[in-house]
Amino acid sequence: MKKIIIIVGLLLLAFGILAFSKGFFTTPLYLEVPKGWPKPVYDFSKNPLTEEGFQLGRNLFYDPILSRDKTISCESCHLQNTGFTHIDHAVSHGIEGKTGTRNSLALVNLAWSKDFMWDGGVNNLEVQPINPITNPLEMDETMENVVAKLQQSQKYRTLFTKAFGDEKVTSQRLLKALTQFTVMLKSSDSKYDKVIRHEASFTKEEQKGYELFKINCATCHKEPLFCDDKFENNGLIPDASFKDGGRIRITKNRKDSLRFKVPTLRNIELTAPYMHDGSIKNLQMVLFHYTDDIYDSPTLSKQLLKKIVLNQEDKGNMLAFLKTLTDETFINNPRFKYPR
Amino acid sequence: MIKKGLHTVFLFLFCLQVNSQSKNDSLALNFHLEFNKLPLQLNKKYVSASNDTLSIEVFRCYISAIEIHYEDQSTFIQKNSYHLLDSDKPNSFVIPLTNKSDKLISKITFNIGIDSTTNNAGALTGDLDPAKGMYWAWQSGYINMKIEGKSPNCKTHNNEFQFHIGGYLQPYYAMRTMKFSWDKKADDDISIGIDLFRFFSNIELKETNSVMIPGKEAMRLVNYVDKMFYSQ
Repeated sequence: MKKIIIIVGLLLLAFGILAFSKGFFTTPLYLEVPKGWPKPVYDFSKNPLTEEGFQLGRNLFYDPILSRDKTISCESCHLQNTGFTHIDHAVSHGIEGKTGTRNSLALVNLAWSKDFMWDGGVNNLEVQPINPITNPLEMDETMENVVAKLQQSQKYRTLFTKAFGDEKVTSQRLLKALTQFTVMLKSSDSKYDKVIRHEASFTKEEQKGYELFKINCATCHKEPLFCDDKFENNGLIPDASFKDGGRIRITKNRKDSLRFKVPTLRNIELTAPYMHDGSIKNLQMVLFHYTDDIYDSPTLSKQLLKKIVLNQEDKGNMLAFLKTLTDETFINNPRFKYPR
Repeated sequence: MIKKGLHTVFLFLFCLQVNSQSKNDSLALNFHLEFNKLPLQLNKKYVSASNDTLSIEVFRCYISAIEIHYEDQSTFIQKNSYHLLDSDKPNSFVIPLTNKSDKLISKITFNIGIDSTTNNAGALTGDLDPAKGMYWAWQSGYINMKIEGKSPNCKTHNNEFQFHIGGYLQPYYAMRTMKFSWDKKADDDISIGIDLFRFFSNIELKETNSVMIPGKEAMRLVNYVDKMFYSQ
């Protein structure tokens, strides 16, 4: 009997040492899907979320170590208090003040997105960060160098060990960890959401605006995500210097000329300027664009062939509704803030 | 107690021995990079059938989904079969597959490039690590083949030519499946030649010297990529 106890004890000890030596106790994390929302597109089975992976991703997101000269982090163009985008700049600027040709997108509800970037060129959230990291106008770094820099850092060796069980840095681990952070950036607690959950009610103006929204905008900006994962030409005059054809760059199909991703309208109040080229400065002008300033071209969205008519009062109501999509809980969530 | 310990050590050494032996005994797919039937030397001047003087600096290519079909209807399908051949790493041209045997091989198949499912699979590792420089960032997807070098006929920066061939979206899906009928025993390595002469004989570097994105041009080049591979 005694022998058995000793053997069992030794086995337990051996198991304990093995587990401890690997230092591999992780805390599972889950992305809660709000009631009435579709199933997420992201395949969590290949990247099970853990608190440790999330925290590693959060550190990476805020760390300029990802850029060639350690000046630009993901946050440089995606700030939490403006709904994880870059405001005041028509197009985002990167390393050494260089500018690209597109307005940075808001990082929100990415778990439900099929394609990424304005042209949908990126097919999986995990490989999205390769873009800004290697783009010569953004972080201008190589994946190889980023991996080497992180491997040299004591801080990251510790964080990688916590998340993955050993201190080896690979591009796969880096990308999966960043994804664990960005995939958690869920906004579902705006006034609109509270109204849907019967926890609040719209004012008269907001309610009227909501009705108008459903008639004029909701086909593309589909509830509850306020986007539809499609690409449309929304009648902007093409910028002569950017020469940006949008989706056609990826598909080489003429039907996709001047088509861009339909962006979400969540937190739209905070994310000016608007459109892929950042050419519209405020929401009033966005509404003016859709009612009076549509540029006709062969690929113009079918939804815009019929003129949208809104009077001044309608526009005021519409703006009141759009502002109910601002999610204070999201932009103040301490778990998404700069890690300290 | 000491005796037991010694036994363990011997057992360990024996295992190591067996392991190293099995490596020698494994049947490998052996690619030979050539220019006009002779082993390719990087940076050496060659002349193509289109009369282009050229030198090769980089050759990289993904080989995937390797299968061996035997005469007796059995098959060997390699798991996780993604391999990057890299002219800077001669060892990468030898891919160990399975045990050698006396069975007769009837057919060998593999893909040049990466299939669309894998292209959609997110962040991968090993030879599929995007840090290997065979991945497009702005448009997700693997570069199936890179051929880079110089030719005085290229009126480009430094007379360089660059072919980055790939793409997984229809109608520009650039992966190709190769099938070779075979009639040899599985007791010796399988040799496949990759002759760049055949590629350059189909193009004129004056006109075609930079293809870096998926699309029509890449699909035209894929037709010449096929022709480079032959059984030896």
